[in-house]
Amino acid sequence: MRVFTAVIAIAIGILVLLGYFLPQAELIQTILLNWAVILVGVAALVGLVNLLVVHTDKVRRGEKGSIYSALLVLVMAITFFAGAVLRPEHAAMQVVLNGIILPVEAALMGLLTVSLLYAAIRLLRRRADVMGIVFILTAAVLFFGSVTLPFGEIPIIGTLVRPWVSQVLALGGARGILIGVALGTLATGLRVLFGMDPSVWG
Amino acid sequence: MAVNLDLISGVLSFLFTILILSYLIGDNPLFRIAVYVFVGAASGYVASVIFWQVLKPRLFDTLISAVLRGSLVEQVLIFLPLIGAALVILKIFPGMTGFARLSMAFLVGAGAAVTLGGALLGTLLPQVQATINIFDPQAAAARNIGAMEVLGNGMVILVGTVTSLAYFHFGAQPKTDGSVRRFGLIEIIAWIGRIFIGITLGAVFAGVYAAALTALIERFSSLVNFIVLLRTTLGF
Repeated sequence: MRVFTAVIAIAIGILVLLGYFLPQAELIQTILLNWAVILVGVAALVGLVNLLVVHTDKVRRGEKGSIYSALLVLVMAITFFAGAVLRPEHAAMQVVLNGIILPVEAALMGLLTVSLLYAAIRLLRRRADVMGIVFILTAAVLFFGSVTLPFGEIPIIGTLVRPWVSQVLALGGARGILIGVALGTLATGLRVLFGMDPSVWG
Repeated sequence: MAVNLDLISGVLSFLFTILILSYLIGDNPLFRIAVYVFVGAASGYVASVIFWQVLKPRLFDTLISAVLRGSLVEQVLIFLPLIGAALVILKIFPGMTGFARLSMAFLVGAGAAVTLGGALLGTLLPQVQATINIFDPQAAAARNIGAMEVLGNGMVILVGTVTSLAYFHFGAQPKTDGSVRRFGLIEIIAWIGRIFIGITLGAVFAGVYAAALTALIERFSSLVNFIVLLRTTLGF
């Protein structure tokens, strides 16, 4: 079975990869990626069913916090059935989107303000080395350089230092990180495609 | 009807913002209620989007059309993902998860190829090309930037790129005293790279913090606006 799954993965991977470089292989790449989108959709639904099963079990066993699980199951079932009957773009479903999902996401993002500030203070306390100081100093310069104060921009920092740091210094580091990530992804992808990573085949 | 839905949306938005921001005084049942409702609503919404925007058009509609008036090739082409989807669904049943491996192998292969193509064509080549283009005098002249400025900034970016990459070089040899250290020159280059990475992460942190602060201000603003609207509507 393991050999068979490895052969499937390698064959599909090579066919999809060929589509990037050979125009003749584009059609087969499109068909395979269409199938992959369908399978990803079904896999996501299976994941959601698993979430439902886990929380239903918690409610059935009466575990601590099962009232929250019951709430989750109830809201999930109502939202899914309403969405399946009415379609996601229906006005009633937009109430769920604009009344619950988006405000909660934005408020959670807003809470990050406190968490990030706390993390920055902890970083300065625990790791006051060169990298930590450069990190905090850059963040402070860029942040205060980009805010609009009652008297306008902070001279020099807002007009000269901030653009140079963000568009030259930070760009150099970002490019190095991105190229490093791409090289790492290439190496891992090739290992998977050539069957050199047995952990992937489960 | 539309006005009522807007009002419901506004009330829910107000309520859930308050519940989430209550976390500022510590973890509490109100915050948990909001988070669990959010997870339930988001997962139900996502499930309905997957059904209507992925499975229906790509699987069910194509299947019906292929069965009714498609050729044999079209019918085979649509039945294969249907079988794959059925195998993925078997993952729900504990004794039959082995069958799902076939579909998972398909996804791993396709995913690895897409990731490889994306990393090569979407990141590696464009980033290398962009680093080369910094030194292009014609492009700089078109943007009214002097040659010396281009050269200076280009050199800093190039040094930042190379030294940041060198920071991730972890090849090392054991010394006679048993310690393991990188080659001296790499160590110096990596130290400079560390500074560049610190600057980059600081810039990312500032960006994320600014976005989080904007979101917080927007939420407070929406709370105030809702109260003002409610006062105006109810006339008190």
